[in-house]
Amino acid sequence: MWWIKNVQVVDPAQSFSGNYDVLIGEGRIIELKKSMTAEEVREKLGESSTWEEIDATGKYLFPGLIDVHTHLREPGREDKEDIASGSQAAVRGGFTTILAMPNTTPVLDQKALIEYVVNQGKKVGLAKVHPIAAMTKGQDGKELVEMVELAAAGAVGFSDDGRGVQSAEMMRLALEYAKLTRCPVVSHCEDESLAHHGVMHRGFVSTHLGLRGIPSSSESVMVARDLLLAEEGGGKLHLAHISAKESVALIRDAKKRGVDVTAEVNPHHLIFTDEAIAETPYATSYKVNPPLRTEADRQALIEGLLDGTIDMLATDHAPHTWEEKANPFDEAPFGISGLETALAAVWQHLVVPGVLPVETLIQAWSMNPAQRFQLTGGSIKPGAVADLVLFDPEYAETITADSLATKGKNTPFLGQKLQGLPVKVWVEGRLWER
Amino acid sequence: MGWTRKDILHMEDLKPSEIQIIINTAKPMKEILSRTVKKLPTFRGRSVYNLFFESSTRTRTSFETAAKILGADTTSLAVAQSSVNKGESLLDTVRTLQAMKPDLVVIRHSSSGAAHFLAKELKAGVINAGDGQHEHPTQALLDLFTMQEHLGSVEGKKILLVGDILHSRVARSNVWALKALGAEVVLVGPPTLLTPEIKSWGVKTTYHLDEELAGADVIMALRLQLERQKAGLLPSLREYSQLYGITAERVQRTGKKTLIMHPGPVNRGVEIESSIVNSSQSVIEEQVTNGVAVRMAIMYLLLGGGTNHVVD
Repeated sequence: MWWIKNVQVVDPAQSFSGNYDVLIGEGRIIELKKSMTAEEVREKLGESSTWEEIDATGKYLFPGLIDVHTHLREPGREDKEDIASGSQAAVRGGFTTILAMPNTTPVLDQKALIEYVVNQGKKVGLAKVHPIAAMTKGQDGKELVEMVELAAAGAVGFSDDGRGVQSAEMMRLALEYAKLTRCPVVSHCEDESLAHHGVMHRGFVSTHLGLRGIPSSSESVMVARDLLLAEEGGGKLHLAHISAKESVALIRDAKKRGVDVTAEVNPHHLIFTDEAIAETPYATSYKVNPPLRTEADRQALIEGLLDGTIDMLATDHAPHTWEEKANPFDEAPFGISGLETALAAVWQHLVVPGVLPVETLIQAWSMNPAQRFQLTGGSIKPGAVADLVLFDPEYAETITADSLATKGKNTPFLGQKLQGLPVKVWVEGRLWER
Repeated sequence: MGWTRKDILHMEDLKPSEIQIIINTAKPMKEILSRTVKKLPTFRGRSVYNLFFESSTRTRTSFETAAKILGADTTSLAVAQSSVNKGESLLDTVRTLQAMKPDLVVIRHSSSGAAHFLAKELKAGVINAGDGQHEHPTQALLDLFTMQEHLGSVEGKKILLVGDILHSRVARSNVWALKALGAEVVLVGPPTLLTPEIKSWGVKTTYHLDEELAGADVIMALRLQLERQKAGLLPSLREYSQLYGITAERVQRTGKKTLIMHPGPVNRGVEIESSIVNSSQSVIEEQVTNGVAVRMAIMYLLLGGGTNHVVD
């Protein structure tokens, strides 16, 4: 048990932040008070109990972060990542709960596979791992999965992520049928005919570098479609990795009309633009789908996050082997390994410069994901499960291939020093320390 | 001014003075080409590897000829038929190559940035012989050399680049080189092959060839990959050639003795009317000769031949 003293608590779910003492008991948050005496602590924890005192002056206490978009690659591509390495990367990055995308080999489209991921996650016992099931069998876009059975087995959402659902009718059916489960349908918005085997954002930089472009419309056209479908037939829609300013505008309008939609943005789209590919040049660590877009898009995404149009931050953690990324830009796979660096990167690039208030950060990376996907956590209320992050804004680390727990060393932050990292993380009251 | 670069990867950051050093070095090289005995002892024992991942007869032959005249040993790896098909990565191919201790490596690859990739990994100098849709610097240099021979300085000269701008590495390299030397460049093509982003290259763009003919000093037609039509970017080759084909009638309307250029190979009757290809204004064959001279010059400079004889 722990007595955390004088810590800066950020808990948008209770609409407050400020300095508090926090007591953590057996798996639960026991008390949260302006300041406490040893007598009060003994009274709360019980006469015979022992505890550790942590002077947390200058540090923050966040509800554990929840990442709704990770690729853990298990089963099938354990050379890129597995559930053990992925969940270790998660706690190192401050995530107590992660949602695992189903584009594995085989695809997570059956009960046994959903149970496999759930069990592997439990066996590792670090971050809590919840699978998102495929939306269609084999992610082929043709037949719905048995949604009710998969939800009962532990799936918390449905998605063909990795590919866009090309058939509008299929998407409509999924949104409607998923009502039986109360789980969101997570849409990877990409029109393949428009994306047309592009490898980076279509714009000035792509024509300059001679790389095939992915136009913003390949995303926004599908965002518009999915919003209209959700509006017409109802259904719980979640839009993954929004990258284009046009998409932000469409979502803002749809929310005004009352469409049941949430949306996420990835840290790399908030921090980098397509210019990074010209500056490096051709560094495959910046090759990601949807692609890094322009400064105007980046600003629109930040604005969307600040005004609530975009509800969540999510890493889209996409680990790949070093050999796969050590290829010409065209041939390297899409994806950025994000779990371990995302919080520090957002802290350093957006919170410290005053762009993103820390309350919005926690709302978008803990409270909103918990509410939308109906997960425990997301708040520091007494009685709630002890998923917590003690965050030290002064703690700095140089990111190297060896320091990363993830097998995916494909991060643009490799070799850079990041400041602002979790130093202690509790998952259901189990402590991990940096 | 001395030569300091290890590689020739793209025209974009080549300074006008560097461009001029290469062209000035190409002049005596061209003279050597007209000799009966075309062989120099300069680089005896030095090794040049040609690494061609895309099939290309003319460019590969041009580099091979250039290296041989300079006395270097050349080895050509037609990689398209070997390791890539066995699943070997470019990185492994490059490491194998590095182990053979080459002095210069010439690379053509279908991926943009492949030459940069190689240059990062290799101790040897790297010459980009065309990377994807990015650049083809030696083509731009031989084009410039050819233009300068006929026009003197290109500064202020009106140069039309016509055709598939979007997919053309020749267009990109020429634009940066011609811009650097102060030419008036106009890019001409149909909207599907001259997309709006290209405006940001900082040169004039237009869809209408006929409006730009007057006063043109050079018309360079770009090669049209015939699969662009199949991919739906053009309704037909017939309509393309009606709008953008270089015909005798169009050449006449420039009001000048306009140079007709093409990087080859020409689709006769599509990009250029057959009679124009063989006309006195066409310098297409001279471009081939100058290609060898320019590639000799580049190898000479990269292998440390010095710039003593060059007037800067």
